[in-house]
Amino acid sequence: MKTIEAINLNRAFNGRKAVEDVSFSVEEGEIFGLLGPNGAGKTTTIRMLTGQLRPTAGGARVAGCDVVRERQALKSQIGVVFEYQNLYERMTGGENLLFAARLYGCDPGRVREMMEKVGLTDRAKDPIRSYSNGMKQRLLIARALLHRPRILFLDEPTKGLDPTASRQIRDLVTELAAQGVTILLTTHYMEEADQLCRRVAFLNEGRIVAMDTPQKLKVSHGQRLVRAVFKDGSDRTVSLDNPADGKQLGEWAARGDILTVHSAEATLEQIFIRLTGKGLDE
Amino acid sequence: MNARTILAIAWKDILDAIKNRYLLMSLILPIGLSFLFQLIFGGVANTGKFRVSVYDPGHSRLTAQLRDVETLTLVEVDSLDALNEEVAGDSVGGIIIPANFDADVDLGKQPELTVYLNIRKAGGELAVFRDIVYQQVWTMREEGAPVRLVWTTTDVPEDEIAESGIRKEGFRMDFYLLVMFLVMSLTMTGSFVVPLLLVEEKEKHTMEFLLVAPVTPAEIAAGKAVTGLAYSLLSAGMLILLNKGISGSWPVTLLAVVLGALFLVMAGLLMGTLLHTMMQINTWSTIVMMVLLAPSWLSVLQPPALIDKIIRLIPTFYLVELLNQSLTGTVALSDAAWRLGLIAVSTLVMFGIVIWVMRRQET
Repeated sequence: MKTIEAINLNRAFNGRKAVEDVSFSVEEGEIFGLLGPNGAGKTTTIRMLTGQLRPTAGGARVAGCDVVRERQALKSQIGVVFEYQNLYERMTGGENLLFAARLYGCDPGRVREMMEKVGLTDRAKDPIRSYSNGMKQRLLIARALLHRPRILFLDEPTKGLDPTASRQIRDLVTELAAQGVTILLTTHYMEEADQLCRRVAFLNEGRIVAMDTPQKLKVSHGQRLVRAVFKDGSDRTVSLDNPADGKQLGEWAARGDILTVHSAEATLEQIFIRLTGKGLDE
Repeated sequence: MNARTILAIAWKDILDAIKNRYLLMSLILPIGLSFLFQLIFGGVANTGKFRVSVYDPGHSRLTAQLRDVETLTLVEVDSLDALNEEVAGDSVGGIIIPANFDADVDLGKQPELTVYLNIRKAGGELAVFRDIVYQQVWTMREEGAPVRLVWTTTDVPEDEIAESGIRKEGFRMDFYLLVMFLVMSLTMTGSFVVPLLLVEEKEKHTMEFLLVAPVTPAEIAAGKAVTGLAYSLLSAGMLILLNKGISGSWPVTLLAVVLGALFLVMAGLLMGTLLHTMMQINTWSTIVMMVLLAPSWLSVLQPPALIDKIIRLIPTFYLVELLNQSLTGTVALSDAAWRLGLIAVSTLVMFGIVIWVMRRQET
C-alpha cells in the first residue's frame, strides 16, 4: 500500500526551480532515501510533503491526505525530524516532549515512554543546552514519534554526529521500520542510505536522475568487479562480466596465489558521480 | 481555534520566559523604575505644612475632615472673593464646597467640587495638596466616584499657566508617574516581548516544528497573545498595587488596562510576523516604543497644536487619557465608552492584519 505518492511535484522560488517534476511513491513500512548534494531539492521536497510548502505545480498524497487541501488532517499522521536541531534550548528534555504532547493531545505518560525508548530518561530534567548533538537528535526523534505517526520524515538525521551517535540513530530507524513505520529520509551520506534504505532516489538540481534499490542501481549503473590481493602484496581488479577475467581468477585461486578477494562494485556515490558528473559535497 | 493548543503554547512561553534573563529583565524594568521613582517623589511630597483655604457655606463634613489633616493649616473663608485672595496669596489651594454637597454625595449625585490651585507654589506642595483632596473625597462614599472634581486656577493669566508646563486639570505627580509606568510596561511587553516570542521561534527554527504540528497560524498568534496578555496584566497589576492605584473609577482603569494591553500585544504580534531577526526587533521595537510612549510623556505638558493633533492619532493617547482620568476619578464608565471602543476596534483590526499576514507567509 502506497503511503507517500508524489506526482510531478514542482516548486520554484522567485522563478528559480528548486524541485522539478519529482514523482515517486513509498510503500508502507519502507525506508526510502532521497539522496543528493546540498541544494539538490531534498529539503524542499520534504517541506512540500509535510505541508509546510505549497507546490507550484503537481501534487502529493501522504497517508491518504492531499498535502495542500488536507494539511491539518495530514499533520497528525506524520512525524518530522528537521535538519536543524530545533528544540527549546532553555527548557528541559522532558518539558520539550511535554509541550509536544500537549500540542498533539497525547497522554503525558507517553513522554516518559519515549524518553525511555531513546535512552534519555536520566537526562529528562536537564536543559537541552547541556545535551550533546547525538542526544538532541535522539530527543528530536522521540518528539516526532510521540503521537505514533504512520510516516516519519527524517531530514539529514545523522548530519554532524559522531560514529557512535550515528549508529544509534540508524539502529532506531531500522527498529521503527520493522514496527511498520514508513520512513522517508534525506541524506548525503551514501553509505548510510545503502545500509538503511530499501529504495533510493538520486536528486540533482531538483530532478530525480535515478531511482531503485541500492543493489539494482549498482548493477545497472556500475560494473561487476572483483579485486584480488596476492600473497606478494600486489593486487588486480577483474570483471566478472568478462569470461577471460573469470577464468584467470579461477586459475589464481587454484594456484593458491590469492590472499584475499574483495567485491569492487561501484558505490552509490560513484554511481551518483557517473550520472550527474559531480560529487555529493559539491 | 483549539483552546488546548493555545494554552499549550502560552504555557511553554511563560515557562521559557522565566528562564530567559533578557525577557525577564524587560518585564521587571518598569516595576523597578516605578519603585525607584516612588521612593524619590514620595519623599519630596511628604515634607512641610501648608495653607489651604475653604469656602463652605453648607458646613460640609469634608471641611471637618480637612481640619483633622495634620499637614494642613485650614483657612475657612466666608466669601468667594476671600478665597480668591487667599489662593492668589499664601494658600497652596482653595476648595469651594457647594451648599448641599453632603446630601448630593450621599445620594450618589456626584456633585461638582471646584478646587483652585495656586500654580505659583512648588510642585511638591501642589502634589501633596491634590493627594489630600483625593484621599478625603474618596472616604465620603463607599461605592463609586463621590464627586466630579474640577481643577482650576484663580485669576492667573493663561500664558503663565502654559509657561508652568503643567496641565491644570486633575494633574497628580504620583498618578502621572503611575500612568507613565503602566503605559511603559504594556508597551514594552507588547512591542518588545511579544515580537521576541515569535522571532525567536523563527530564528531557532522551532516555528517549523509548530507548523508541522496540528496547530494553525491563528492558534500560534493566539497563544503568543495569551502569553503577552498574561505578562502585561501581571506587571500592570503589580504596578497598580505598588502605587496604590486602586482608586478613582477603577472599572474604567481595569477596562483601559485590559484593552490597552490587548492592543499593544496585537501590535507586537504584527511586528513579530513581519520581522525575522533579533537585530530587526531591537531596531524596530525602539522606534515603535518611542512612538507609542510619546502620549504618556507629553500628557503632562501642553504641546503645540500640531503635535497635539498628531499625538491624537496614536491609540495610546486615548489609553493615557483614560488612565489619567480614571485613576483620578474624573471619568465615568459612560464617558469612557467611546475611547474604550476605539481601542477595542483598533485591537480587532490589528488582529485581523496579523492573521492575514501569517496566512500569506504560511506556505
